Amino acid sequence: MFRVFHWRKLFHRFDWTLVFATLVVIVLGFVNLWGSARESQYQLFARQLSWIGLGGLIFFVVASIDYRILSRYAYFAYGIGTFLLVVVLVTGKMVGGSRRWFDLGPSHFQPSEIVKVLIILALAKYLNDTPALEGRSLKHLLVPLGLAGFPVFLVAAQPDLGTAMVIMLVFATVMVAASMKLKTLAGLLTVGVLAAAPIWEYGLHTYQKNRVLAFINPALDPATAWQPRLAMNAVGSGRFLGKGLLEGNQIRQRSLPAQWTDFPFAALAEEWGFLGCSIVLLAYSVLILWCLKIASEARDRFGAATCIGVAALLFWQVTINIGMVTGVLPVVGVTLPLISYGGSSVLTIMTGLGLVMGVSLRRYSY
Amino acid sequence: MQIAGQSAELPEIRRRVRIMAILILVSFLGLAGRLFYLQIVEGDNFYRMTSEAVIRTKTLPALRGEIRDRNGRVLATTRASYNVEVVPDRIDRQQYERLLLVLAEHPTPLPEWESFLEKTAKRRDRPYQLAQDVSRSIMASLEADMDSRGTSVVAIPRREYPFKQLASHTLGYLNEVSADELRTLSEEGYRPSDLIGRAGVEKQLEPYLRGRKGFRKILAERRGIRPSEIQLSDLVDGPIEVAPVPGENLILTVDVDVQKIVERALAPHRAGAVVVLDVETGRILAMASTPGFDSNEMSGQLTLDASARLFGNPFRPFRHRALSETYGPGSTFKVVSALAALEDGLISPDEKTRCNHFVQIGRRRFKCTKNHGVVNLHKAIVESCNVYFYELAMRPGIMNRFTRYANELGLGAPSGVGLPGENPGFIPTEQWHRERAHSESNNSTFMIGHVLNTAIGEGANRVTALQMALVYTALATNGVLWLPQIIERIESYDGKVLETFPPRVRRHISISPETMAVLKNALVGVVNTPGGTAYKARSTLVKVAGKTGTSQVRKGPDPKTGEPPLPHEQLDHAWFAGFAPADNPRIAFAVIIEHGGHGGDVAAPVAVNISERYMELLTSRHADASPSTPPGVSRTATAASQARPMVP
Repeated sequence: MFRVFHWRKLFHRFDWTLVFATLVVIVLGFVNLWGSARESQYQLFARQLSWIGLGGLIFFVVASIDYRILSRYAYFAYGIGTFLLVVVLVTGKMVGGSRRWFDLGPSHFQPSEIVKVLIILALAKYLNDTPALEGRSLKHLLVPLGLAGFPVFLVAAQPDLGTAMVIMLVFATVMVAASMKLKTLAGLLTVGVLAAAPIWEYGLHTYQKNRVLAFINPALDPATAWQPRLAMNAVGSGRFLGKGLLEGNQIRQRSLPAQWTDFPFAALAEEWGFLGCSIVLLAYSVLILWCLKIASEARDRFGAATCIGVAALLFWQVTINIGMVTGVLPVVGVTLPLISYGGSSVLTIMTGLGLVMGVSLRRYSY
Repeated sequence: MQIAGQSAELPEIRRRVRIMAILILVSFLGLAGRLFYLQIVEGDNFYRMTSEAVIRTKTLPALRGEIRDRNGRVLATTRASYNVEVVPDRIDRQQYERLLLVLAEHPTPLPEWESFLEKTAKRRDRPYQLAQDVSRSIMASLEADMDSRGTSVVAIPRREYPFKQLASHTLGYLNEVSADELRTLSEEGYRPSDLIGRAGVEKQLEPYLRGRKGFRKILAERRGIRPSEIQLSDLVDGPIEVAPVPGENLILTVDVDVQKIVERALAPHRAGAVVVLDVETGRILAMASTPGFDSNEMSGQLTLDASARLFGNPFRPFRHRALSETYGPGSTFKVVSALAALEDGLISPDEKTRCNHFVQIGRRRFKCTKNHGVVNLHKAIVESCNVYFYELAMRPGIMNRFTRYANELGLGAPSGVGLPGENPGFIPTEQWHRERAHSESNNSTFMIGHVLNTAIGEGANRVTALQMALVYTALATNGVLWLPQIIERIESYDGKVLETFPPRVRRHISISPETMAVLKNALVGVVNTPGGTAYKARSTLVKVAGKTGTSQVRKGPDPKTGEPPLPHEQLDHAWFAGFAPADNPRIAFAVIIEHGGHGGDVAAPVAVNISERYMELLTSRHADASPSTPPGVSRTATAASQARPMVP
C-alpha cells in the first residue's frame, strides 16, 4: 500500500520542466495583464496574483496526493460538478444573457470551468476500469459519451457554447487517444456532419448563429464582426517587435469587450509583436508536449488518460482563443489558459497541471 | 490497489499520443503562420490603419478667388471674420452672462443661459458658435475680458462684396452646401459647412473660384499616447502637408462706374432690368436687375428680418430680370420686322401706307396708338405706327421671314453668356401657330392676326433684356451679333493671366448699307425728331438712337387662377432699346421696366440718362488720363466727327 502524501517523491522527482513551462506562461500572462489593463491595473493584477497563488497551492496539493487515490473519488467529484451545473442553471447569476456564474460576494465562480477537469478524471477512471485491447468501438463509447454529454448539455444550456465545445473536443481527443477504432471515428464524424444542419437550425441561439455567420462573411453584420475585426487590427499592428509595454493604443483606446478574459492575446500581440506571440506559442507547445510525454510514460491508463485530457484541454483552448483573435475561428468565449484573467479558469488549469505533475512523479514506481 | 491489465492498451495509447503531438505542433505552426501573415506581411498596413486613430487630418481651406471689375476694382473678396465660440462644459452661468454683456452690441440676438444649455445639451465638450463675425469693438472688449478658458475667438474667411447690392444678381452669393448636394459633390472635395456659389458668376465659375483645399496631418494627443515618440512620416503614406491653392481671380467685363450709373437710373422703378453692352466687343459693361439683394447678407448669416424682407418680397428680388425673365418685346421688335421686309425686298423705304388708327380684319380691329395719316417706314418706326406693320404683315410668307430674322439676330436662343438661369425666350414660327391653333381647336387655320401681332412685337414673342441689347448692338455695328461676355479674363491668385476671353462674334448678319442707313436714321428719329415716341426724353448731351416699346400685359383675370391682376400689374411693360452715341456708337442697351407704362415715357428716360452719364464718365476719364488732349467724346454730338473703326 502507499501513503497519501509522498513528500519525498515530490522532492526527488520534481518535474522541473513542467513547472518551468507553467511559470513561463504565468509570467507572460502577468506581463500582458499589466500592459492591457487600463486604470484597474493594480486591482486586476493583485487579484490575478492571488488566484495564481491559490492555484499554485492546489497544484502542489493535487500533485502530492497519489492519483490512484484521487481516482477513487473521480465519479463522486464528477457527480458534484454536474450537480453544480444544474444548480447554476437555476440560481446562477445572470450576466449578459447567460447563467454561468455563482456569485460568491467579492468574486464569481464558474462551475463549468472546474467541470472540465472533473470530466477528464471521470473519463480516465472509466477508461482505466474498462480495458479494450481490440480498440474501442461504438458500444464502448456509450458510457463515456454519457459522462461527457450530460454536462455538455448543461453547459450549452447556460448557454456557454465555447466551454461546451471545448469539453466535447477534449472528450473526443481523449477517446481517440485511448484506442478508439478509426472506423468508429470515421463513422462518428459522418454523423456529426449530418447532425450539423438540425443543430444549426434548432440548437443555436440567434447571437451564436450570427457570430458564426459574421465569421464566414464579415460584411453580413458589421456589428457582430466588429469584435474580431478590432482584435485582428490590434494583432496585425504589433508587427515584429510590438509597440511595447503600455503602448498598445488599440487595446487602450478602444474598449474591446472581455479584453482581459477572452482577448488577452490581442493585447499581447499588439504590445509584443510576432516575437512575443512566438514565445507564447513556444511556451504552450512545451507545456502541452510535456504533458503528452508524461502521458506516454504513465504506468496506467488513468494517468495516461488524465494527462492526455489536460493536454487536450490546453491545446484546444489555446487554439480556439488564438484562432478567434487572429480571425481564423469564430468568436466564442474560450479563455487563454493561465494568461486570461479569471479565477475559475486559473484554478481549473492549475488543478489539471497538478494532476499531470502527480502522474509525472509516479511514472516509475508504485 | 491494482487493477488487472492496467498496462494494457498503453503501447497503442503511446503511439497515438506521438501522432497527436505532431498534429499539435502542426496546428501551432499554422497559428504561427497566421500571426506571421498578420503581423509581418500585413503588419505595416494594420499599423497604419490603427494609427490613423491618432492622426488627425486638418483641412486647410483655400482662399476663394476675388472678383474684380474691368478696371480692377474689387467686387467680391474674402476677408477674415471673427466668430466667438464657447465650450459649454467650461463656462459657468456667471461667465456666460458676462460674455453676453460684452456681446450686447452684436446685431444677432444671443441665447440666454437656459436656452444655451438646451441648445448645447448633446455636445457639451465641443465648441459652440455663439456669434458670427463680431465687430472690431466687440473684439477689443472681448480680448480685455477673456478670462474664461471656455471662450475663444476663431478667425474664419468670409466672403465680402464691398459694393453691397451693386451687381448682386450678376455676382451671385455663397452659402453652405446642402446635405443633398454633398451626395454628388463630395467627390469633388466638398465637405459639410463648405460654401458654394449660388447664383451669378459665383455659381458659373465656382470651379475656378474655389481653389484647392490643402491638408496637414497632425498627431493628436490622446490619453496614454505620447505623440513625440511616434514618427508621423512612419504612419502616413504620401505627404504630411499639402498647402492649399487659392482660387483664381475673375476679372469681369463689368465696369463698376457704369454699373453704378445703371443702378442709379433704375432705382426709382419698382422692378426692371438694364443691360449695357460695349458695342465694340459685345462685352457686358453693366447689367442690373431691380429689386435686388445684398450679396453680403445672402452670404453671411441671414437675419430673420432680412430673410422675411427678401423672401416675402412679391417682386422676387433674386430673379435676374436681365436674363432670366422674358417679356414681349413690344415695338422694339419692329426693327426686326422692318429689317426682314427691307432685306428681302418686300418693301421699299419710300412706300407709303395710310394709318386710320386701326386695321379691320373680319370682325377684329387691330389698333394703332393714334391716327398717323400717311406713313412711310421712317415715320412708322419714329412714331411707332402699328398700322404700317400690319399692312406689311399681310404680305404672303412674311411670318417665316420674321422668324428667320429674329433667330438670325439671336432671339429665341440662349445668348451664350453662360450665367446661370438664362432664359432663351421664344420666337414662334408659322408651324407653331398652326399647331397651337389646331390644338386649341377653336380655329384650325393659321390666323393672319398672329402675324399682325408678331409684326409689332406682341403675340407669343418672348425676349430677354440681354437679347434685345444684343439685337441693337448688331444694328449699331452693321450686323455683328456678339457673344456677350461677362468674364474678361481669369488670373491666378498671384496675378498670372491664365485665360483671356477675346471678344467673340456669334455671327455676321449681312445687312445692306442702304437698309442700315434707313433703320439707323429711323432710330435716331425716335429720340431726336419731334413726334418721335421718345422725343420727350431726348438729350442735349448725347445723341441717342433707339426704339421704344410698350409690351401689352394681360388686363383680364389670370386664365389659370382666375385672379384679377393687381393694380400695378395693369400697366404695360415699358421698353427702350438702342445705342449711343448715334453716329459713333459705343454702347448698346436695353431697358425694361416691368409694368412701367409707356416705353417712351418710362424706359427711354432711363436709357437716355444712362447714355448721358456714360458719356460724362468717358469724358472725365479721358480728362484724367490725358488732360492735354481734347476729350475723345465731347459733350455735344460733335463726337460724330471722330470716326472710329467699326468692328467687322
